[in-house]
Amino acid sequence: MSKEFLEQRLHITRRHFLGKLGLGLGSVALGSLLIPDLFTAPESLQQPIGLPHFAPKAKRIIYLFQNGAPSQLESFDYKPLLNKMAGEELPASVRMGQRLTGMTSGQAKFPLVGSYFKFNQYGKSGAWVSELFPNIAKIADDICFVKSMHTEAINHDPALTFMQTGAQQGNRPSMGAWMSYGLGSENKNLPAFCVLLSRGRGNGQGVYSKLWTNGFLDSVHQGVQFSSSEERVLYLKDPEGRDRADRRRMLDQLTALNELNYQEFGDPEIQTRIQQYEMAYRMQTTVPDLTDLSKESDSIIKMYGADCLVPGTYAANCLLARKLSEAGVRFVQLYHQGWDQHGNMVGEMPLQAQDVDRATAALVMDLKQRGLLDETLVIWGGEFGRTNYCQGDLSKENYGRDHHPRSYTIWMAGGGVKPGITYGETDEFGYNIVRDPVHVNDFHATILHLMGLHHEQLTYKHLGRRYRLTDVAGKVVDGIIA
Amino acid sequence: MKRTTSVLVNGIFFLHVLLLFLVVFEDRVQLPIGLHVVGRMHVLLLHLPIGFICFAVLALFIQHQFKSKPFQRLFHFTLLLASLSAMVTAMAGFFLAHSGDYDAEQIQLHQRSGLAVSLLAYGLLLINTYQVQQNLIRLGSGVTFILLLVAGHSGATLTHGENFIWEPVRKQEPLTAATVYQAAIEPVLEKKCFSCHNESKAKGKLVMTSPERFRQGGEQGKAWIAGNPDSSRMIQYIHLPTDHDHHMPPEGKPQLTEAEVLLLEAWIRSGANFQLRWTELPETDSLRRLAEATFTIKKTTTYSFDEVPAEVIAKLNTPYCSVFPLYQGSPALQADFFLPESFDRNSLAALRPIREQLVVMNLNKMPLSGEDVTLLSQFENLESLNLNMTGITDVALPSLAALSKLKSLALSGNPVSHDAVVQLLASLNLTKIYLWNTAVTQSEATTLCQQFPDTEIVHVLFTDQTTQVLSKPILVNEGVLKPGEEIQLKHPMPGAVIRYSLDGSEPDSIQGYEYQAPIPVQESVVLKSRACREGWYCSPVLETTIFVAGIKPTQATLLTAPDKKYRGEGASSLIDGRKGFTDILNEPSWLGYRENPFEAMLEFKPAAEIKKVVLSYANNHGSYLMPPATVEVWAGSGPEKLKLITTKKVDQPSGYEMQRLKFVSLDLQPGTYGYIKVVARPVARLPEWHSGKGQKGWLFIDELFFY
Repeated sequence: MSKEFLEQRLHITRRHFLGKLGLGLGSVALGSLLIPDLFTAPESLQQPIGLPHFAPKAKRIIYLFQNGAPSQLESFDYKPLLNKMAGEELPASVRMGQRLTGMTSGQAKFPLVGSYFKFNQYGKSGAWVSELFPNIAKIADDICFVKSMHTEAINHDPALTFMQTGAQQGNRPSMGAWMSYGLGSENKNLPAFCVLLSRGRGNGQGVYSKLWTNGFLDSVHQGVQFSSSEERVLYLKDPEGRDRADRRRMLDQLTALNELNYQEFGDPEIQTRIQQYEMAYRMQTTVPDLTDLSKESDSIIKMYGADCLVPGTYAANCLLARKLSEAGVRFVQLYHQGWDQHGNMVGEMPLQAQDVDRATAALVMDLKQRGLLDETLVIWGGEFGRTNYCQGDLSKENYGRDHHPRSYTIWMAGGGVKPGITYGETDEFGYNIVRDPVHVNDFHATILHLMGLHHEQLTYKHLGRRYRLTDVAGKVVDGIIA
Repeated sequence: MKRTTSVLVNGIFFLHVLLLFLVVFEDRVQLPIGLHVVGRMHVLLLHLPIGFICFAVLALFIQHQFKSKPFQRLFHFTLLLASLSAMVTAMAGFFLAHSGDYDAEQIQLHQRSGLAVSLLAYGLLLINTYQVQQNLIRLGSGVTFILLLVAGHSGATLTHGENFIWEPVRKQEPLTAATVYQAAIEPVLEKKCFSCHNESKAKGKLVMTSPERFRQGGEQGKAWIAGNPDSSRMIQYIHLPTDHDHHMPPEGKPQLTEAEVLLLEAWIRSGANFQLRWTELPETDSLRRLAEATFTIKKTTTYSFDEVPAEVIAKLNTPYCSVFPLYQGSPALQADFFLPESFDRNSLAALRPIREQLVVMNLNKMPLSGEDVTLLSQFENLESLNLNMTGITDVALPSLAALSKLKSLALSGNPVSHDAVVQLLASLNLTKIYLWNTAVTQSEATTLCQQFPDTEIVHVLFTDQTTQVLSKPILVNEGVLKPGEEIQLKHPMPGAVIRYSLDGSEPDSIQGYEYQAPIPVQESVVLKSRACREGWYCSPVLETTIFVAGIKPTQATLLTAPDKKYRGEGASSLIDGRKGFTDILNEPSWLGYRENPFEAMLEFKPAAEIKKVVLSYANNHGSYLMPPATVEVWAGSGPEKLKLITTKKVDQPSGYEMQRLKFVSLDLQPGTYGYIKVVARPVARLPEWHSGKGQKGWLFIDELFFY
């Protein structure tokens, strides 16, 4: 009898088979709808937020961003061949089809031009520095030059966005926001991410607040932009006749109201707002002390230069950066505009260099003197480099350079970076990279690594996929890590 | 039963085909997570084929004890089970191999023999089904059994390692992976050499597993000459061509990688020392570098103290004191203090519960008392301490000598002097000490560097004594001054003196007036000022045009239209009292003229007594902005009754000048006027020295003043 049943059951028609198959697959799909994680990998990629993943070398970063793209050929990348071949056409074998910007695509000739400023070697490491940066030259043994940076973006907006947020398209969190998200602020009375702007005297390009945005992360991680006026954080003082106790009572009531609202609507921005009010309250006590420059000693003022007392200058921003970093701010970013020397290199580059040279060297020395350089990573650089051929008229008096994404130079000091070395090399034309290229993603991966974070594991799920600062690329550059 | 059997046999055949297919395309297979679980069952399932195959083999020995037919059926059944379980085991084994971190080389023997067992079991099953000769069955069973042993042993080696069975009786060497040999060299030899050069199997009579016998060498002689890798037999054999008889490791066995060869050479070059420790090698040593590249020598220091529970840490965190682990999972903690005003007696004492775990402390700018420092000396595991600007004195410094593990100490900004520092350096083994802005002088610091060569002593780094230039004074009230308002200047540097002039002369440390109080002005002036201070060069001159508000017209109208792009806010731009910026021209304050002359009608109701008209314009030669060529003022009591009162031909510049606001001032004969018309013509041709010579110039006007 059972045999018959067995026989009967084994006689399945195609119709039955397909029907049953559909039902089976459908139930599997239902399962995945009800339990979204049914078929996903275990969450081994999620690490708890707030602490480094492994022992960090750097605890804080000061990023001296030179906006407009400072010319590497006039600052740190010495190419005497360009002086020898000045006026000659850029060989096609060197250019290898690199795209031109709209500004030079109309040019018939691309005459090579070498630096009109002299270069010399400094320090035990023998680093080449131009005569425009005498003070940075003096600290060459503390610096790691990376001469093989490269990027795909050829114009300022996408390149800036790429350098700060890890992608040429905007609306992604910036580096500082990722640091704030991953590590928070050491000092709860100050924001984790501060931004200071200064204008140069050369041809300037704009900076946009999307460069320090929080993107899709919580708006608590947004960069706090300090003003360039004397009152560096506006409206921090209590009004006449009110004292701190009043302020505290007011904030408590406000928080209670906001909490009620949060319970009703669940909008996470409400929590962010509550936190920001609390942060502002705490900043009332910490910030005035930090921004009060009148108590600085003469030796400090001499080291940074007299400009450091004038709010809104690069030197003042460097001094404030040191004070913020000393007080535990995780990521301080400076933007100095004016480096876009398409023309008038001879006139503008020395002015720009003058703005930054003394104060930058002073910042590194100041950190070192206080024993903070080992745990503070200082980065100096722009968003791309400049071409080795002249843009516009090449004369004995003046010349200009266009944008060049294929190779540029940045330098880093402190924070676990090997001091006194040069990493990477460009060819003798200063056009292509011949050794150890470092892409922007690699740069980000390395910085995260120095801060003790696995760049592949600091992620945030947004719109269905996990995002990270290095997106889908980036390799840690071991060669510059001490 | 027969039906089931045939189904199973066919099923096994089908699954074998599938398995072989998977094995062949191993590299392209991507396993879903669910099958990883099945893979892990391999360890469970493998016992079944072992049992069944062993039973089948044993049964053959006692075959004659039983009646033929029942035995045959049972034997067949056993073979069926053996084949089925072997099949499933092999499949699960494949999944496991694919999901785990198994070394592809190590696993090969086990994988192949396991697969062979499964196939042979199936083959045996088929043979048995078709009743072929007994001898063949016996032979088949024997081979399967042997292969089973091979697969089993290699599998066990994978899981438990070599010599698992004999390990308890082997000589136990104390595990100190702190020697270079044990950490870096032995693993290489173990992988590639020990299998043939050990105590039980010593090819060429060379035993590498024990250091003494390794040193003795083999039948050809010693394996190495200390310090000379090129003449060492071991290295020479490695470098021989692969097909040479003596090439090591032999052809067909896993070969040494280039990094491993370099590592062995470096070890021999450094003396082939079995006891050498990592700490004895300098960081730049090539052996160390090579080893670090090949092996990740765990640089994370291990701490001997326990972890503190997270709740305890959370309670210790206040807005003024942050306590946190150095990194996730680390028992070591760091404590940072902020806000000197909130630091009191209890702040440090509160950290007593985590006394053992604190490794880094930051007390920058906290006012430390003597008792605080004594308390600090009880934090025995501190490795990095920041005491900048805490006011610590020579008296308190010796207490820090108790911190035996301290490596980095920052004392900048404290009144500590040479003798106390020397004592401290002598009792501690610091790698870094920071003494900027202390009572230690430059020469004392130099002698300290010589005295303590292993410590990095950071003193004053900025020694440039050249005189510098001051920054320019800052104009406080930047806009248009109201009548009676005074000019306010200031300078951020304490002690700076501001000198100024209102007549266009250059002020310096002796010329011009000294700024003591805000400067009263009646009319628009050019202010030049600079700051001076003892020990500094005077600042560059700050040149600004100060405008004072005058009589405000009741209405203003533009009689000619400005350029389309620079329309400002129309006529109201002229009397809004807002100064424009010379570098931002697209701003509402500016009216730009190029093709037409500028003509504006101003109405005064009631008619006012006007003595002076001031026209403010922008000078920006780089952008082709020039002074007006001529300015005319017409006045009268009505718009039709205007008479030309005065004309002025404005001086044109002779070269490029700094961009600046300038003004033209015209004096009128005193009178009461109800209507005034101002006409200004832009420069028709730019001068010879200008790069745009011959072209039309621009005239940018932001304001008109009447006094």
